[in-house]
Amino acid sequence: MDKKKLVKQLLVIFLVVALFAGMDLCIYHLFIKRVTSHHSPGMQKMSVEVKNYVPFTGSENVFSAADATRLEGKIPVIDGAAALLPMYAGFVESIYPESSVILKGGSYAPESAMHYTNTRGAYKDIVDGKADIIICAQPSDEQLKYAADNGVELEMVKIGSDAFVFIVNETNPVSDITIDQIRGIYSGKIKNWKELGGKDIPIAAMHRNKGSGSQTALEKLMGNEPIKPDYTTLFGSPIGFSFRYYVTGMLGEGGVKILKINGIEPTTQTIADGSYPIAGGVYAIYRKGETNENVYKAVDFMLSPRGQKIIEQSGYIPVNVN
Amino acid sequence: MKDKTFIIILILVTLAGIGITTALAIHGYRLWQNISIVEMIANWR
Repeated sequence: MDKKKLVKQLLVIFLVVALFAGMDLCIYHLFIKRVTSHHSPGMQKMSVEVKNYVPFTGSENVFSAADATRLEGKIPVIDGAAALLPMYAGFVESIYPESSVILKGGSYAPESAMHYTNTRGAYKDIVDGKADIIICAQPSDEQLKYAADNGVELEMVKIGSDAFVFIVNETNPVSDITIDQIRGIYSGKIKNWKELGGKDIPIAAMHRNKGSGSQTALEKLMGNEPIKPDYTTLFGSPIGFSFRYYVTGMLGEGGVKILKINGIEPTTQTIADGSYPIAGGVYAIYRKGETNENVYKAVDFMLSPRGQKIIEQSGYIPVNVN
Repeated sequence: MKDKTFIIILILVTLAGIGITTALAIHGYRLWQNISIVEMIANWR
């Protein structure tokens, strides 16, 4: 009788241990394994870490024009999207006084003329007057509303381009997708890769944070089609999106594949000639009616041959490419 | 095994399980905050 009871008790303890072990294994395989970074130095270089793109440090990642005229007087505060940091770090190194860039403990000081936040932070800061020029992709409707609500009109000058790209794991046999299929996936109408000629496995459509540059690009691509929430993306094979520059450094590492859109691969040429259908503009954005002349001088520099060369060297597409 | 011993062992095992699962989830959440969507897809086979 006692033996039977002991077996029951041990069984209960075993079941509790097995339950937790099962949960932990699920957490590990469905979550931890996917979010553990395997950065190699090459990947780190492309993951736009601030320390790799600090102007005036002799960084090989920052391209600048040595002979450009430096700004004098009131230096405009520049900020921008994370993915565009290499570009505006080059502008700053070219035309800003070295003393205007102040880095403290790995971050830019509030009094520094160069800041580094991200698309969401940059759009907020230009409206709030904490930044004078921001380098970003197009704003979201919410960001435009925030500007309008605060009585600020934004002037946007296109200075370059980059491609909005969709990526899958390299083991995914699908290599080509259409814009209608992307809309189908993100609206939830297309649920399985076999509908696109792939394996019989669900599509895990991943998103970015609301207000980020690439999430805004997805919203614009979707138009009026509602986007399916992404909390269902634990299972299946993933698809995600980003900008080309952000992804290209990862390709050499393996692991991801950029999808062709309507049969067109996003290359410098196809983005420049418009044949890649979802190229995105890169803009210098400032407040309409800005009175600081240096803002206009900075934007003129970005559009000048030297500024455009920096855009090209930094891995983006200049506006005047042939 | 006495009932009291059994209950104590059960409570200890449960508390340890909750602790390990919570720590794992917090660890994963912190990693998730620092990883790019691109790298996450590269890891997702």
